[in-house]
Amino acid sequence: MSESILHVLILLPIATAAFIVARPAGEAKTVALWGSLISLVLGVVAAFQFDWSNAGAMQPEVSLVPWLPALGLSISVGADGVSMMLVLLTLLLGPICVAASFSSIKHRVKTYYAWLTVLQAAMVGVFVARDILLFYVCFEFTLIPMFVLISIYGSSNRKAAATKFFLYTFTGSILALAGLIYVIWFNATRMPVEAFAGAGEWSFQIDTLRQAAVRMSPTEQGWVFAAMLLGFAVKVPLFPVHTWLPLAHTEAPTAGSVILAGVLLKLGTYGLYRFAIPFTPIAAVDFAPFIGLLAVIGIVFAGLICWVQDDVKKLVAYSSVSHLGFCVLGLFALNTMGQSGSVMYMINHGLSTGALFLLIGMVYERYHTRSMRELGGLAAKMPVWSFFMVFFVMASAGLPGLNGFISEFMCLMGTFQASDTLAGSSIGATPGVLGPVFAILAGTGVVIGAMYLLMMTGKMVWGPLREPKGHDHHNHSELADDLNAREIAVLTPLAVLCLVLGLFPTPVLKGIEAPVNDTVRWVQEHGGLRLYRDPAPARVTELSPAGVVTPELAAPAAGGER
Amino acid sequence: MQTTTPQLAETIGALGLGAADTGAALEVATGPAWAMLIPMLPLLGAAIMGVCAIMGVRSKLPAWITVGLLGFSAVLAAAMYAWLPENGRAVSVAWEWINVSWGDEPGQTLKANFGFYIDSLTCLWMLFVTLLATLIALYASEYMSHDLGAGYCRFFAAFNLFVFSMACLVMGDNLLLLFLGWEGVGLCSYLLIGYHYKKHSAVFAAKKAFIVNRIGDLGLLLGVFLTFVHFGTLEYKDLFPMVQPYIEAMRQGAVGDIPAVVQLIPVLLMIGAFGKSAQLPLFVWLPDAMEGPTPVSALIHAATMVTAGVYLIARMYPLFLVSEWALPIVAWVGGLTALVAATIAMAQFDIKRIMAYSTVSQLGFMFCGLAFLSSVGGAFHVVTHAFFKATLFLCCGAVMHGFAGQLDLRKLSGVSFMKGWGIVGIAMFIGCLNLAGFPFTAGYFSKDMILAEAFITPGPGYQFLGVILLLTAGITAYYTFRVFFRVFVGPKQFEPGDELHGHDGHIDDHHEEHGSASRATEADEGHTPGDHEPMGGSVEERGKKTHEHPEHFHPHAPGWAINGVLATLAILSVLAAALYFFPGADKSHKGWAGGMISGSSAALVVGGEADHPTRLAAFVGAEPEQGTLFGQDPHKIMYYVSGVIGFVGIAIAFALHYAGRKESERSAANNLLQVKPIRTAHRWANAKWYVDELYDFALRKPLWAASQIFHLIDKLLIDGLVNLVGYLPRALGKGVRPSQSGVLHSYAAAMAGGLAVILLIVLLLSL
Repeated sequence: MSESILHVLILLPIATAAFIVARPAGEAKTVALWGSLISLVLGVVAAFQFDWSNAGAMQPEVSLVPWLPALGLSISVGADGVSMMLVLLTLLLGPICVAASFSSIKHRVKTYYAWLTVLQAAMVGVFVARDILLFYVCFEFTLIPMFVLISIYGSSNRKAAATKFFLYTFTGSILALAGLIYVIWFNATRMPVEAFAGAGEWSFQIDTLRQAAVRMSPTEQGWVFAAMLLGFAVKVPLFPVHTWLPLAHTEAPTAGSVILAGVLLKLGTYGLYRFAIPFTPIAAVDFAPFIGLLAVIGIVFAGLICWVQDDVKKLVAYSSVSHLGFCVLGLFALNTMGQSGSVMYMINHGLSTGALFLLIGMVYERYHTRSMRELGGLAAKMPVWSFFMVFFVMASAGLPGLNGFISEFMCLMGTFQASDTLAGSSIGATPGVLGPVFAILAGTGVVIGAMYLLMMTGKMVWGPLREPKGHDHHNHSELADDLNAREIAVLTPLAVLCLVLGLFPTPVLKGIEAPVNDTVRWVQEHGGLRLYRDPAPARVTELSPAGVVTPELAAPAAGGER
Repeated sequence: MQTTTPQLAETIGALGLGAADTGAALEVATGPAWAMLIPMLPLLGAAIMGVCAIMGVRSKLPAWITVGLLGFSAVLAAAMYAWLPENGRAVSVAWEWINVSWGDEPGQTLKANFGFYIDSLTCLWMLFVTLLATLIALYASEYMSHDLGAGYCRFFAAFNLFVFSMACLVMGDNLLLLFLGWEGVGLCSYLLIGYHYKKHSAVFAAKKAFIVNRIGDLGLLLGVFLTFVHFGTLEYKDLFPMVQPYIEAMRQGAVGDIPAVVQLIPVLLMIGAFGKSAQLPLFVWLPDAMEGPTPVSALIHAATMVTAGVYLIARMYPLFLVSEWALPIVAWVGGLTALVAATIAMAQFDIKRIMAYSTVSQLGFMFCGLAFLSSVGGAFHVVTHAFFKATLFLCCGAVMHGFAGQLDLRKLSGVSFMKGWGIVGIAMFIGCLNLAGFPFTAGYFSKDMILAEAFITPGPGYQFLGVILLLTAGITAYYTFRVFFRVFVGPKQFEPGDELHGHDGHIDDHHEEHGSASRATEADEGHTPGDHEPMGGSVEERGKKTHEHPEHFHPHAPGWAINGVLATLAILSVLAAALYFFPGADKSHKGWAGGMISGSSAALVVGGEADHPTRLAAFVGAEPEQGTLFGQDPHKIMYYVSGVIGFVGIAIAFALHYAGRKESERSAANNLLQVKPIRTAHRWANAKWYVDELYDFALRKPLWAASQIFHLIDKLLIDGLVNLVGYLPRALGKGVRPSQSGVLHSYAAAMAGGLAVILLIVLLLSL
């Protein structure tokens, strides 16, 4: 994959935004749609150019656009399998968000589409950054477009929501930056030059810094980890630093919510995956039970809060907190199953929760309410909408056959496996510090998920039709009773992907396997996890003192032909 | 650990289970590719139904397509059975579903294919599932005809999807695909229970079914995790050979050598089985599931889906055998469920609900069969029950369809003798005989296989459990014939239900006052505390009081599709008895059903060469030296005992609900209810022992309260702290107010400035 295509993916949205500003307002949405579609096509081209057999390595191998050579500052981009998947998710949501806004955004159209498009560039930048500077600039820059989208185009309480969103996450990321700067400083001043390539210099390269960071003392790692954790956890958001999210989601315009849930939250988990865990593996192992606990509390706590919501958008927002708990839990299982599941979760949550926000937005445009007390039984009036709603609710609830199950299963499985205790006697376990107790506690979230999602479906979709008092939506909106062709076109690709990823996730799973395996091995090597691999578990030989068992059976660990 | 329950170990050891050489029998062949069509055809059907809905088809076309595809699946299932070599097992892989690998050593790859495991257990299940699905789809073509159009398509789409999911559940070659089917059937059950989605009670029942099942599913999922963690595989073909050493240990009586982790796996798996098969304490969803259209109740909630729990245990039988707790727990849960559900069934008035509780009770019998080491008994009872219970439900459905939704047994009488209802009456009679365990019916033989084992299998309190089951068998005979004597024979009388304007699809507003599924029954109880509401006069009289145009109402006798399906099913339920004898050349195989089980994982524990009758099957055959009852073959004794008990139950029902019951006259049961203790017991049983209320009080309400408190904590405490932190600097530094202007440019400038400062620091440090 050539380097330039990644540069184009960042620059094209900016150019599109400039074009939107330059053209009359009437053309804004068309330009934005075409721009985002071209980006998507380019992304697909990049995915085809990408060498998936070598998905573990950053591609292109070397990428350096010198910026301030004296300071070691450069712009360096690249993608491995994980980054590539997240870039594709971002690019896919682009045209969907643009198309979903056609009927809901009526004023200050140019500003809206320009910022929406710029946001795209920043998000792609985060995922393809190979140096901390580009990463951090893009990471922070996502706040500005989002701030604009919420504060201008949101609902009644939008100003407060936007400010809180901005300040909360900005404060968090300053802390993360502090941690990253410490690593940069450590590499430049504390590393002997001969340790590895790039040691002892002011380098911003992630690969170089990772080498340096693992050489920090456990105490230093602890502090750096804590700083990065605080920053990224706010973004995820992890309990208890999640309270900005329900507010921001409820107030944001539909496309803003979709981007927020679909990609922006993933910046947090991506940060944990790319920086916090591999940079400070010892601390990651030490902190894992603590973070696991927070994740589990978040899953249950936020899930139960969903159950008593009346505002359907707030319900989905809290469900994100609960769902991202699974994602973080999987990351800190520190094994391939958990981390692959977590990356899958980032993608799947983007698809299904994004779609739920779109669906709620479509109803909001028609009825101007999100209260389930006023609104319900829409199956009678909007059968197509109801079909999609039930479909995405099931995807979100982790019904096997749809995408959500794959990731939820893998995250829980990874958590369950990650037990040093089990790893001694069971061949399917991996070294790790979480284990069955965490999996069982988080598993209750699966039941709670069904409870609140079906509660929502039961009220919104089923039951006798309930509409707000004196409602005649033809007064307010030119939209048809049920979904129109544009809205169906917006939802269909997401539905198709949910189904495909549920039944045939292999391409994605294989695409992320190599990079995740690299990360996991790195963490196990440098994080002090015990590496169990007992080739012939003792239990079998103990079992058959009389020697009745045939040799093939005596080594079930060998598992037949394997 | 070795001393706790030595009986099971002893039994398995003494019987020589697992003694046979195990290596040879475990080879797995490659299955035929066309076997994959069995699940895929219904999936295609579901897709076609979607197209029909989009195109706005308003004919019976969806039904015919469904019947055709399912029929083809049934033919393929038969072909799969014909293809199967004896004791053979094969795997057909459609595509790679999940594959995560972190090394090359065993246990470092989690693989779950969309692959299908074909052995005789699979064939047994798929044969009756596809056959019944085809027949019931045909029945539904008529039953659902009032709803032609989108509703019809929706119904058949979910119906097809159900068969696909069930096929994945049964045919899946790994536990994860089983889980896909497991939750898939749950989804279809949800969609179909809630078919009449404008009705609150239906929506509530659908939600309840899904959530209660999810609790069970969590147990199953944890069992799957533990299975993988311990054995490093989820595929049956790799898993079963790995269990063999433990079975060997069990045989040698060395229970203590089997790790607790392994013994825990079946306990977790059975939680899933209890949820799906509606056993204590998770049975509460099934009776409410009767809100769904009757064909759904017959197929999903009686014949097929609810037997998934039995299938799971049969499939994972090797693991259940190596746990010293698992099977005793299954036995006691099954036995108690059988009794509790039967007592509730005695006191219900809604005939469909009676059948639902009867299903719960019979499933308890099946679980007992498995637990008494008679997997053949359990599985055979599944098959016979599938046919006769489907018959019973479809008869109830025909009544409901014909009498505008009337299901109250106090308001119907002598239905068999009405014009056009003969076939329904006869089919009902055959179904009832089977359920009551009348001698020489299929139900009689299959129940007998389970009952007899209770008295000869050593286990904690199994003898006592046997007595409970016998008592339950008597109760079953009573409540079954209570329905028959009241509704299908006696003086001709009826009162139509409240769906006069059409059928159960068209719900008028007044119907929606029933807030929940349970309230509907309570309302009944409210105005008639007991059985003693006099029969409501003649139709005309009664009708004038309650309905506007009663003279326009005529019972709507079933048409050819319903009658044809009922006749076929009634015949099949009779013929099912033959499976007990035929081909039955080898006594130890216990007929065809026995042969099907002994060639599968349900008996795999004993291994054995392909042509060698397995020892477990031999045990089920109960040769005298294996166990006796009063010095006789227990099965022979049980023929008499259960026969007599069945008679007694029917006789009591006859005396209480038929003998001397005339028009406008109380039946003998009413006199009995004047006795206070009986009335009290009746009221409690009618209220389902208040289990729903208990759950609501002990679980749902506290959880709801906790959620509200959490919401407050989140709003006030957690967010309050954040706001406080955010407010402090603002309060302190009024001078820097302009920086909080909310103007975007200033934020951007601040950010750029901040970055510049940081870079400057870096620069300075580097100098």
